[in-house]
Amino acid sequence: MVLYDSSALSAGSGGGSGNSSSSSSKHPQTDIDGLLAGAGYKVRSSELTQVAQRLERLDTAMVNSPADFTQLASDTVHYNPSDLASWVDSLLSEFTHTSALPADGPGFLIDPGVNQTVPNSSWNDQSAPQIRRNVCFEQNQNHQVTVVTAMEEDSGIRLVHLMMTCAESVQRGDLGMATSFIEDMQGLLMRVNTVCGIGKVAGHFIEALSRRIFQVVGHISGSSAYENEILYHHFYEACPYLKFAHFTANQAILEAFDGHDCVHVVDFNLMHGLQWPALIQALALRPGGPPFLRLTGIGPPSPDGRDCLREIGLRLAELARSVNVRFAFRGVAAARLEDVKPWMLEVSANEAVAVNSIMQLHRLLGSDSTRNSPIETVLGWIRELNPKIMTVVEQEANHNQPAFLDRFTEALYYYSTMFDSLEACPLQPAKALAEIYIQREICNVVSCEGPALVERHEPLAKWRTRLAGAGFRPLHLGSNAFKQASMLLTLFSAEGYCVEENEGCLTLGWHSRPLIAASAWQAAPDGASEVGLINGGGNINNNDAL
Amino acid sequence: MAGSNEVNLNDSKRVVPLNTWVLISNFKLAYNILRRPDGTFNRDLAEFLDRKVPPNINPVDGVFSFDHVDRATSLLNRVYMPAPLNEPQGGIIDPEKPLSTTEIVPVIIFFHGGSFTHSSANSAIYDTFCRRLVNLCKAVVVSVNYRRSPEHPYPCAYDDGWAAVNWVKSRTWLHSGKDSKVHVYLAGDSSGGNIVHHVAVRAAEAQVEVLGNILLHPMFGGQSRTESEKRLDGRYFVTVQDRDWYWRAYLPEGEDRDHPACNPFGPRGESIEGLKFPKSLAVVAGFDLSQDWQLAYVEGLKRSGHEVKLLFLEQATVGFYFLPNNDHFYCLMEEIKNFVNPNC
Repeated sequence: MVLYDSSALSAGSGGGSGNSSSSSSKHPQTDIDGLLAGAGYKVRSSELTQVAQRLERLDTAMVNSPADFTQLASDTVHYNPSDLASWVDSLLSEFTHTSALPADGPGFLIDPGVNQTVPNSSWNDQSAPQIRRNVCFEQNQNHQVTVVTAMEEDSGIRLVHLMMTCAESVQRGDLGMATSFIEDMQGLLMRVNTVCGIGKVAGHFIEALSRRIFQVVGHISGSSAYENEILYHHFYEACPYLKFAHFTANQAILEAFDGHDCVHVVDFNLMHGLQWPALIQALALRPGGPPFLRLTGIGPPSPDGRDCLREIGLRLAELARSVNVRFAFRGVAAARLEDVKPWMLEVSANEAVAVNSIMQLHRLLGSDSTRNSPIETVLGWIRELNPKIMTVVEQEANHNQPAFLDRFTEALYYYSTMFDSLEACPLQPAKALAEIYIQREICNVVSCEGPALVERHEPLAKWRTRLAGAGFRPLHLGSNAFKQASMLLTLFSAEGYCVEENEGCLTLGWHSRPLIAASAWQAAPDGASEVGLINGGGNINNNDAL
Repeated sequence: MAGSNEVNLNDSKRVVPLNTWVLISNFKLAYNILRRPDGTFNRDLAEFLDRKVPPNINPVDGVFSFDHVDRATSLLNRVYMPAPLNEPQGGIIDPEKPLSTTEIVPVIIFFHGGSFTHSSANSAIYDTFCRRLVNLCKAVVVSVNYRRSPEHPYPCAYDDGWAAVNWVKSRTWLHSGKDSKVHVYLAGDSSGGNIVHHVAVRAAEAQVEVLGNILLHPMFGGQSRTESEKRLDGRYFVTVQDRDWYWRAYLPEGEDRDHPACNPFGPRGESIEGLKFPKSLAVVAGFDLSQDWQLAYVEGLKRSGHEVKLLFLEQATVGFYFLPNNDHFYCLMEEIKNFVNPNC
C-alpha cells in the first residue's frame, strides 16, 4: 500500500469551532402501537394520548388562524413523518414561536412536555439538547423484490425460470445439471430480444452464472482501476443514482459545515471527484464567505508511476481557486478501504470533518475469521474522529445473503429494475458503458464468493442497525432535501424515477422499488451505543440550496 | 369559535378508538397543510409525508404482492395474492398458469381513496388494507395507482381505471373457474368508490363483464347542501369546505358539483337504465357528512333497475376500515366476503 501526499496546493488557516454533540436520552424500544405501525407510523401506545392532545391543539390553532397556519406549516421543513409524535411536536413548536397558539381551554390536560420550547433548528445548536422521540425500530424486513415488468415474451419468462432453476442447481452443487441449463439458456437467448427488457439483463446473469460454474477467475476483461473510473463516470451520466447520491450528501455536508471556518471532507472513493465541484461552488457562495476546505480523497494506487489522485486534486484545486475558496487536497492511495488508517488522513483538532461514503461501506462486510471485522474497525475509527457528519449512500438491496439462490433472486430483480430504468436514457455511449458498469456488479454478486465478493449490498434497515450498534445516530434528511432531489430528477431524468422518504433517509428508485438509499449520521454520545436504545436523531436544516 | 371546535373534536373522539383518532386526525392535519386556497396542491410535501411500502414477493401473513408497470403509460398496478395460490417460483408468476381451473377466485380491482388527490397504491394504509382484503375474502386484489388531481383532473382517474380493467381481464394468470375467465369485482373507498361507479358504467357500455361493485363511503356530491352536510360539517374529521376543494380540483374548470362525475343521478346525470350493470354493495358511514349523496346514489341505482345492497353503519366515521379495531371493520369484511363469494 502506498501512502501518497499530494497536499500543499494552497495554504490556509483559520479558526473553527470544535465538534459538538448534543445529548440525547435513552428510551427502550417498547409498546409501539402495532396497528399504527401497519399504517407506517411509529407511536408508543403510552404516548397516544399526548399525541392526540397535541393534534387537538394544532387543530384549534388551524381553526383560529387558518391562513397563517397553512403558510407556516407548509414553509416549515419536515422530518421523519413516521415518528408522528416528533412531527406533531415540531409543528406545535413552530406555532409556539409565533404565539399563534391559543391558551388551553378547559378540559385539556396541560402537558409539561409540550410547554418546553423544543428548538426547531439546526442540530448545530449546542445550547439546547433536543429531546427527540425517535425510536430505533429494528424491523425484520423481508427482502423486497418486484416482478420483472416485461412479461409479455414467452421466451423471456422461460429464460427467467431456467435461470432460477440453474441457480438452484448451483446452490445444490449439481454443476452438471447447471451446465446443461446454461446451454439451454444460451439457445433461448438467440430467440429473445436482447436489446431491452428481460432479454438484456438475462444475458448478463447467464454470463455471471457461467463464470461461477466454470470457475472463471479474475476480473472481467482485465479491468483496471482506470477502466472502472471511466465506467463509473458513464454510469453517473446515464442515470440519476449517483447524481442523487452526491446531491443529497452535499446538501447534508453543507449544512453540517455551517458556521465552521475549517472543514475537511474525507471521500472514501474519489473516482474522478465528480461530487466535489458542486460542494466547492456552494461553499463559495455561502453567506459570510467560504471556509478553508480540505479534501482527502481515497482511491486505489495508480499504475505506471502516475498519480491519478493528485491529478484529480489539481483539477479541483483549479476550480476552487477560480471561485476563491481556499483549498487543499490530499490523496490517500489504498488498495482496500480497510487498509486506510486514520492517521493517514491527518485530521486536525480544529476542523469540522465530514466522512463521505458512496457505496463503499458494503465492501467491508466480507468477514475473515482470522482478523477483526473490517467494517467494525473502520466504523470504529470514524467514530473516534467524531465527524460533524458521515454521509452514507448504499444500494438498497439484500445481496449479502449466505444462500446463493436468495442472493441470485434478489439480484435478478434489483438489476432488472435498474436496467429498466436505464432503458429511457438517450445518451450514448454513456448508456452502453453504464450497462457494462452494472454488469460488473452483477458478475461480482453472482459469480464470486469469499474475499472476492465485494458487492455485499445490504438494505437500509440493516445499515441502521449496524450503524446504531457501532455508536452512530441518524441525522434526518428533511422535506427540503426531498423536494430538491425531486426537482433534480425532473430536470435530468425520465419519468418513473421516484424519491421516497424513509424514516429520515431518502431513497431513489424506479417506480415503486427503491434502488439506492442516502442517509446521514454522527457519533452518538458515549453510553448510548446499544442497538435499539439509540434515541436522538438530529435533523438537518436544508435551508440553503446547493 | 374555539368552543365549537372543542365540541367537534370531542364528538369524533367519542366514537373511534384512540389510535384511529390519532391516525385520521393526522391525515386531516396534513391534508389541511397540503391544500392551498388557490386550488393548487403541495405535491412534493404530500409525497414526502405519505408513508409508502414496497411490494413483497415473499408471503407475509399469507399474502404476497408485486407491482406491474405499464411501459407505455407508467401506470402501476399492485397485485396481491394469497399464498400458496400460484406461488411464485423465485418470484415469477407463470403467465400461462391460471389461478385455478376448478374454483372461482374473485379478482377485486381496488381503487384507493384520497378524494382524487391523496395517497397511492403503495401507501402503507392501502397496502395493509388490500392485504387484509385478500386474507378475509380469499381473493386476488389489484390496486390501481391512478393519476390524481389537481395535476390530472377528470377524466384521468376513470381512464386509468378502465385501462386497469382491460389489463386485468386480459391476464391469463388471473383466470379461474371452469369457465376459465377473470372474475372481476370493482371496489373502492371515497374517490375510489366514485371511480368504481364510472368505470362500471364504461364496462357495461362496452359489454365487459364486471360481477359486482363495492363502494366504501363513495365520494359523491352535488351543488345543493344536504341536511347531513349541514348537520355533520366539521364534526367527524371532514368539512364541507374541504369536499368543495377536492371537487374543484377534480372537475373540469368552471364546472359545478352537478357535473355527472360528481352527481351521477343528479340533474345532469346520464341514465344507466337498461345497461347490464353489476350488482352493488354500498357502504355508508353514519358520521360521514356526504351520506345523503351516497344514499341518493343507492336510490338512483334502484330507480334504474339495478341490484344494490346498502350497508349503513350508523356509528362509523370515514376511514373506519383502516384499522381492524372496531366492529364496523369486521362487519364490512364479512359483507364483502359474502358479496364476492361465488356460491352466493
